[in-house]
Amino acid sequence: MGLIFIRTAIVFISLMIIMRLMGKRQIGEMQPFELVITLLIAELACIPMSDTTIPLLYGIISMIAIFFLHQVMLLIDLKCRPLKTLLTGKPAIVINKNGIDITELEKNNLDITDLIESMRSSGYFSLDDVDYALYESNGKFSAMAKANNEENNQKSSIPLLIISDGKFDKHNLDLIHATEEYFLKLLEQENIPKLKKVFVLTIDGTGKVYLQCRGER
Amino acid sequence: MVKTIVSIIISFSILLGICIFESFFVKNTIDSVENALIQLETKTKMQTATKTDALKVNEEWQKKKKILHIFVPHNDIGYIDYWLGEATSYIESKNFDHALSKVQVLISIFEQIPEVYSLSLQNIL
Repeated sequence: MGLIFIRTAIVFISLMIIMRLMGKRQIGEMQPFELVITLLIAELACIPMSDTTIPLLYGIISMIAIFFLHQVMLLIDLKCRPLKTLLTGKPAIVINKNGIDITELEKNNLDITDLIESMRSSGYFSLDDVDYALYESNGKFSAMAKANNEENNQKSSIPLLIISDGKFDKHNLDLIHATEEYFLKLLEQENIPKLKKVFVLTIDGTGKVYLQCRGER
Repeated sequence: MVKTIVSIIISFSILLGICIFESFFVKNTIDSVENALIQLETKTKMQTATKTDALKVNEEWQKKKKILHIFVPHNDIGYIDYWLGEATSYIESKNFDHALSKVQVLISIFEQIPEVYSLSLQNIL
């Protein structure tokens, strides 16, 4: 049985790596590890069912192993940010204020026709219709429509996650060229003594901050 | 969060428990039948084995194989049944040379079974 557990884990990890390497176009609204589980679980249930020479316990052990791995992935997804990025990827901003980010598209094995197709499915028929467009880590396409007038256009920007669950997102801090000290001061002004208390803090290009502490609704 | 950790601990304990139980159970079961087979081999070599001796081994195997079905692929158990049946038949007909080869094959199968299901690199790959 230990053998089956290890073999299942190897197949699971191999599939995970392959799905991650394939990029976002292969994933449809599921996180890579969820897709891998969906692919595996059906096969695992089928084999001992159809082949009576294989003990049923083999299938059950494989399924418990998959469940165990799923729960571990879930824990990593919730609690370990660097590993989460490695396992599930991060959203890819393919259109920003400067236009299409070709590098980001290529990184996700997408080309311009895929982008145009995704935009059409979201109801945008011109590349000029949106300010921001991104592929979420689950492969779903999201776009922010361009504001109509000049004033609103300048205000339109995507909010960036700065603090999540009491931890700074260093990548996003670098993106906005801000320091942790700046936000710690901001928290002090809001009478929040500990960073750990902050559940979420986002900021957009206009400087608009959204802040919510743990225990608040 | 707590629920996730608890489910990880429970599922891991189940897996670990079954793994440990399997390795001990399969080894003990196989060992007891193998010992009976070694005794039969000795008697066959000395040409003193009788049908009763062969049936005793058969009886021992029939008792053990019921639970072994949970852990070992049924094909492997089928092969053992087949070889054991042949060995019994040769002993009954006093064809000790043929019986000896069958018993020796059975002993080698019994030696291999725990190795086939053990945690080793060649089995994983």
